[in-house]
Amino acid sequence: MTGRRVALVGGGVGPFGVRAATWTELVQEAGKVLFDRLPNLSPKEVDSLFVGAAQPERFAFQSHVAPLVAELLGISPWKVVQRTELACASGQSAIRSAYACIAAGLSDVAVAVGVEKMNLPSMAEANTSMADVLDRPWDGVHGATAPPFFAMCAQRHMLEYGTTAEQMARVSLKNHRFANSNPTAQFYAKTFTLDKLLATPWVSPPLRLGDCSSMTDGAAAVLLVSEERARRYTDTPAWIAGSAQHADFHNLANMPSLTHWTGLERAARELYRSSGLGPRDLDLAEIHDCFTISEIIEYEELGFCPKGQGGRFIEEGQSELGGKIPVNPRGGLLGCGHPLGATGIAQAVEVLDQFQARVPPARQVSGAEVALVHNLSGSANVHSLMMYRREN
Amino acid sequence: MSIPEAAPSPRVVDRTPSSATGESSPTGGGGGAEPPRTPFLLDFYPLEDAKYTRISRFFEELRAGHLTTTRCPTDGRVLWPPRLVCPECHRGDLEWTELPSRGRLYAFSAVLAGAPLGMEKDVPFVVGLVELEGIPLRIFSRIAGVRWEEARIGLEVELEPYTLEDGRVFFRFRQASGGSERTPPGEAAGKVRCP
Repeated sequence: MTGRRVALVGGGVGPFGVRAATWTELVQEAGKVLFDRLPNLSPKEVDSLFVGAAQPERFAFQSHVAPLVAELLGISPWKVVQRTELACASGQSAIRSAYACIAAGLSDVAVAVGVEKMNLPSMAEANTSMADVLDRPWDGVHGATAPPFFAMCAQRHMLEYGTTAEQMARVSLKNHRFANSNPTAQFYAKTFTLDKLLATPWVSPPLRLGDCSSMTDGAAAVLLVSEERARRYTDTPAWIAGSAQHADFHNLANMPSLTHWTGLERAARELYRSSGLGPRDLDLAEIHDCFTISEIIEYEELGFCPKGQGGRFIEEGQSELGGKIPVNPRGGLLGCGHPLGATGIAQAVEVLDQFQARVPPARQVSGAEVALVHNLSGSANVHSLMMYRREN
Repeated sequence: MSIPEAAPSPRVVDRTPSSATGESSPTGGGGGAEPPRTPFLLDFYPLEDAKYTRISRFFEELRAGHLTTTRCPTDGRVLWPPRLVCPECHRGDLEWTELPSRGRLYAFSAVLAGAPLGMEKDVPFVVGLVELEGIPLRIFSRIAGVRWEEARIGLEVELEPYTLEDGRVFFRFRQASGGSERTPPGEAAGKVRCP
């Protein structure tokens, strides 16, 4: 690690779901939660703004959104202002950009906002936008959206490693159960059973509706500051301890393997090297369960278990509270929904809340001090990782 | 302007490549009435005419029934999709090469929900990665001629170019006529069906 230390000192998440609210209204909701939580923060001291939004042009017919968010939150940034786009990892990109700017001395007080409005009058239109995340004229044109792509990963993982539909459903069951203690989750207070999940309709076989995260509306916001300012806002910041990313292909023909996500394996190695922390140090992980199979493959590439044993890892309860590494206590993308730009920010807020012991007991990891956050984007062709720790 | 709920994507006109020869230009010129056009930002298909792209030759070959791409003369590396510049050595004088028109399903799924505009009428449809015969290349494609419940890894498929209503040409694969199902070595037949 080089540069100044950077702390995440506050966060706010608005209600996720199929919302009767516009893109602009979602931003206002999340911004209010952030500023209400930080009475010592005036919007006028925020020198930089980063807006993580994947497709405002298509979902809200609005580009150049950073000044819109600044206006809504009363921020007049004078150091750095930008939007970050990395599909499903747009939110983490906003945090990473803020982190880089603060570490480099270009900013001292930065807000990162993530937002997506995905439920439109025509969902076919929204699905069209989701298909342009992949290689639109060569893969999307055939009907490649996320579900059939991750379905192929699941099919090969089942074939090569013996992973079962029941193991996949157990990922969904765990994350929905966690979401039951998260009032901002799309599936808050909704009860699922294994049998119920295994009987949901097919989306893209072998993936059923219960294996898929949702098209969700939502927003979230965090405050990041330089080391010397951290204690002004909280006694318990989340310090950024490391970060890594990897991108390796675009067209599906050029993916090295459907089941062995080498890019994630490589990014994880770099994260563990740069932070000096490894899987054994983790108290919890917030990882990208856009589909149940994603979480299973991620266990393996992140080194939580040996390659091919992700199915067994969930079956044995190793990712539950009290297991080897509790995974997605927030409720995951499966339980909270997946408003693309907001997801990465909401995951970071969960880490801060876990460190500050302010989540309900049903999902609180006691004494949480080290946490990993992962987002994949597109066809798992980009992996974004961050490491947080409670002590500086 | 509101966008109609009804599928605006180009209608597929199933014609064999041979019957499509002698058509007017790929973008549908030729002096007659303008063909129906999809708003560009909702159109999945590539612009094919030489007026818009430097790989119009790909579409001309496809119209004649050939699946082609570009290859780097330095090491023979086959690129997909067709590129202008080799991403390894950045050579800009790539050569065209024909790809095998047959292959087998390496992995597949189907779309039963959540289809994009213009594809809802096709639901359920099969998609998959086609391992082309004799070369290490797997192309993602729509798979015609087989129900998803009956598709299997190893299923033999063949190239099927097709023409859009606006005159453009594209491709998909179709279960091969008289094709055999070959179970990949070491994999039990019962395990390769989907789901």
